[in-house]
Amino acid sequence: MLWNNIIIALRNLRKNKAFAAINISGLALGLTIYIFGGLLVEYENTHDQSYANVNRIYTIGSTANPELNVGVDKFNSTFMAVAPIIKAELSDIDAVARTRNREYLLTSGAESYYEGLRFADPELLTIFDFNYIHGDSSALDDPSGLLITETIAIKYFGNTDAIGEVLTFDNEYDFSVTAVIEDPPLNTHFNSLVIADQSFGIVAPIRALNRLIDYDADVGDWNNLSLGDMTYVLLPENLDQAWLQSQADRIYDTLVPEDEGQAIASLDVHPLSYANVAIWDMIGMPVIVVISLLSLMVLIVACVNYTNLATAQSLGRTREVGMRKTMGATQIQLLTQFLVESLVIAAIAMIFAIAALEMVIPLFNNAAGKNMTLDYMATMPWLLMTTVLVGLFAGLYPAWLITRTNPIEALRDIARKGKKGSRVRSFMIGAQFAISAFMLAMVTIVYLQNEKVKSSSYIFPRSEIYVVDRLNVDGISDKLETLRHELEALPNVDSVAFSSQVPYEQNNSQNELSPIPGDEAAGITLMNMRMSPEFLDAYDIPVLAGRNLSHDITNDKRTDELESLNILVNELTLAKMGIDKPIDAINQRLYPLDEASTLREYVIVGVVPTQNIVGLFNEEKAWFYQYSPSSLRIGSVRITGGNIMDSVEAVEDVWDRVIPDYPIQGRFLDAVFDDVYNVLKYMNMALGIFAFVALSLALIGLFGLAAFMATQRTKEIGVRKVLGASTTQIARLLVWQFSTPVLWALLVALPGAYFATQGYLNFFADRIESPIPILIVSGLTAVLLAWGTIAGHAIRIARSNPIRALRYE
Amino acid sequence: MLKLHNMYKVYSTDEVETVALNGVNVEIEQGDFVAIMGPSGCGKSTLLNIVGMLDNPSDGDYFFFDENIADYNESQRSAIRKHNIGFIFQSFNLIDELSVAENIELALLYHDMPSAERKQRVATVMDRMGIGHRANHMPGQLSGGQQQRVAVARAVVGDQPLILADEPTGNLDSVHGQEVMELLRSLNKEGTTIVMVTHSPAHADYAHRTVNLFDGHIVTENTRAA
Ligand SMILES: Nc1ncnc2c1ncn2[C@@H]1O[C@H](COP(=O)(O)OP(=O)(O)O)[C@@H](O)[C@H]1O
Ligand SMILES: [Mg+2]
Repeated sequence: MLWNNIIIALRNLRKNKAFAAINISGLALGLTIYIFGGLLVEYENTHDQSYANVNRIYTIGSTANPELNVGVDKFNSTFMAVAPIIKAELSDIDAVARTRNREYLLTSGAESYYEGLRFADPELLTIFDFNYIHGDSSALDDPSGLLITETIAIKYFGNTDAIGEVLTFDNEYDFSVTAVIEDPPLNTHFNSLVIADQSFGIVAPIRALNRLIDYDADVGDWNNLSLGDMTYVLLPENLDQAWLQSQADRIYDTLVPEDEGQAIASLDVHPLSYANVAIWDMIGMPVIVVISLLSLMVLIVACVNYTNLATAQSLGRTREVGMRKTMGATQIQLLTQFLVESLVIAAIAMIFAIAALEMVIPLFNNAAGKNMTLDYMATMPWLLMTTVLVGLFAGLYPAWLITRTNPIEALRDIARKGKKGSRVRSFMIGAQFAISAFMLAMVTIVYLQNEKVKSSSYIFPRSEIYVVDRLNVDGISDKLETLRHELEALPNVDSVAFSSQVPYEQNNSQNELSPIPGDEAAGITLMNMRMSPEFLDAYDIPVLAGRNLSHDITNDKRTDELESLNILVNELTLAKMGIDKPIDAINQRLYPLDEASTLREYVIVGVVPTQNIVGLFNEEKAWFYQYSPSSLRIGSVRITGGNIMDSVEAVEDVWDRVIPDYPIQGRFLDAVFDDVYNVLKYMNMALGIFAFVALSLALIGLFGLAAFMATQRTKEIGVRKVLGASTTQIARLLVWQFSTPVLWALLVALPGAYFATQGYLNFFADRIESPIPILIVSGLTAVLLAWGTIAGHAIRIARSNPIRALRYE
Repeated sequence: MLKLHNMYKVYSTDEVETVALNGVNVEIEQGDFVAIMGPSGCGKSTLLNIVGMLDNPSDGDYFFFDENIADYNESQRSAIRKHNIGFIFQSFNLIDELSVAENIELALLYHDMPSAERKQRVATVMDRMGIGHRANHMPGQLSGGQQQRVAVARAVVGDQPLILADEPTGNLDSVHGQEVMELLRSLNKEGTTIVMVTHSPAHADYAHRTVNLFDGHIVTENTRAA
């Protein structure tokens, strides 16, 4: 019986090839997107499964105090001082370990590279069971030991047999390899930080920081809260996340020193699996959830598409149904037959979708640096269930509709077939367009917001600034002036400036200053830019009042002994100080509230305009600028005119001559901007793909349906023409029948898109003006596309000679 | 009223050329009642369609009230057609989704007429055709004879002076066929010109004049005394 049904189903498909092709390809496309989305979400949510303790490992994160105002409010990391407290307080846990990321120049013989490495407590190797090629989990017990991956071993030593080999940090500190491990799989959180690119290659003992930067790792610190610095806890089998959270709450309440911990509002425990997706929570964009939702939406559009076309098409088979019923088929039998048909179609579509995925996934892995696989064993139940659900969901309505009719009516009544189910069909078209218009509107808004971010970034000469990083090393700091003079002598170099950060870097170094000495209540929080006087030149920043800082004035240049330092402030600082005119700010004083050094006061000698230096999604901030030679870490070389590549080469040559011991770490400011911007860009591209697929499906469906409806209405069209209707009137009639649902869809979709995009827009301080005109334009686009799709066909139908339509009825 | 001169109609398909009208000359006066007869496939419907401006001749002249419309395009023909010609088909060609009244009203929809006047006219013509009580029925609920009355009503509601009927009784039994013929006769008495294709000599007797077609030629014309 079932086999018989399948045979009939296949025969029907062969009979209506065009419809079958549209049905199957639409469904296959929807399934491809849906399964891909599902696999991606699953992949992202199940990192780190290769570690034996994965279900017992937790991370300690923190919620930032809102006053911190750094754009990010959830960290999956916390201060280095927390782990020592946990270790002392919680004797029930199995282990706790921190990692801290720092970059060093590593040298072995002729091989010399900057490496981002992790400094870790030795317990890290108890928590994570890495696969050791050489050495074992005691590798970090020796404060000058080093655990490296095979990739790193081969990079420096040519083979993995590297135990005892020496790597020199910053040309000064020797470490020797104590373990070589296999590279951690791509799907571990060690390899997955999106913004901070910290690939997992080298782990050094955290106690080595004592020797390197005089850091007491046994105590930690309450100053540095950065994204990649993790604190891991390994719990015994009998303790769980809730227990650890309660302990973390207790520690935060009772053991975190009041004044030290005030940057954070709580300590948050998460399972290890969260580490890979935490980044999206941190920046406040639920990307993983959105991917699941969008891929489901696309599948729904595809199903509705199928339902629509199948309904329309099945009405042409009322006669067949009538015949079968007269001959004794029950409704259940007929229902089964139609459902088997839609299941067969769903199954065929699924096969196409799987074939498509087999092609798409490797391409995606390549482009995105991931290691997704379509594991048939593991996904089979899901794929089967999806096929069955899609088959049933898409096929149930047409099957029910067609088999409901009584046989006499079915045999006699070719009559009202166009009308039948037309309301449901309209509703479904509406639903499809609602989803497509919704996505289209979202993509447009996200795109325009991204463009706005990009265009406001051009306040700085992005493409003319060559940024040279890693200058705050002893071997380089004292040569900066030489470097500057030599670079400025190059023909196409306009100016060379050094600073503590360059535009678009997401650093938030803030200071509390007060116009009244020691008065905390009057204190204002200012962003702190340390720079050389050339900074204004390099970035075309005008001085609105007063003067720029100078190399030649003693009080302009910060030293350890100086008591009074001249500074610049931007206009927003004036606003915070309650000063109206830039000129009035000159010689005003600000006093440090928590300054450990001898410095007593800052004197304003110049005012610059307010510029969004951190840029991207941040709001404009109040800044002060000081010339502090000891805290310059990055250089900006302004290159204008000439051949860019030649100029860069000349800069590199100068560097190699002045600072031969360290390789240059240079790139254009554009690239700094792209570090963060690309995340936004790729999100928009992904959204664009979803929207494109959904809209295409909706249009294909609409076209199929319009064509079908037009054949259904041939006679009516003929009669109307005979009675004097013009081509335009007929075409309008055909187009209009689909307009009502499409317009209704917009009424639902556009407000929906408005609210959905608010979430995205809220992320940005500087937002596009009003999304409403954009929404309207996207809506109109969807309608026009819909009309365009139907109109071509409708006009052709309307032009045809009426007598042909009426002849053989 | 209208005159066809040396009218040709050739249908060309991929394989064959069919000469459906082969030099036909006809003249029809106002108030005439003409029956067209002939075997299947001799070109009767083709002739009627050309007279009804639903189709263009391949060659020849067509004078409608002294205007040669042979080379008019679709929209020009449509403009003349909708005010001057009503159609009745063998298969009624009512629209199943519209009620009886709406089907009739359809003929006025493209006439730039206010809605109230349309409704008024529809009501009048339905009474005249004896189908007033069926206004809200759907075509599927009516018998064939009733459906053809609706079609006749639709053909005359616009006060068109010329009615073209292609085998109007072909799908009806003899009683209902008779009824429709009586209707046509009374319309003709009131001044409407009628051109009708029929296979039934009895029904052809209602006409003043019979034109016999064979293979695209007019073979004979018989005029009857009124
Ligand atoms: N659209 C068409 N294409 C090709 N041949 C046609 C077409 N319409 C009619 N014919 C042919 O023209 C001839 C006359 O047809 P028609 O006028 O319908 O005959 P009648 O109405 O007398 O039965 C027939 O041979 C028919 O097959
Ligand atoms: Mg005929």
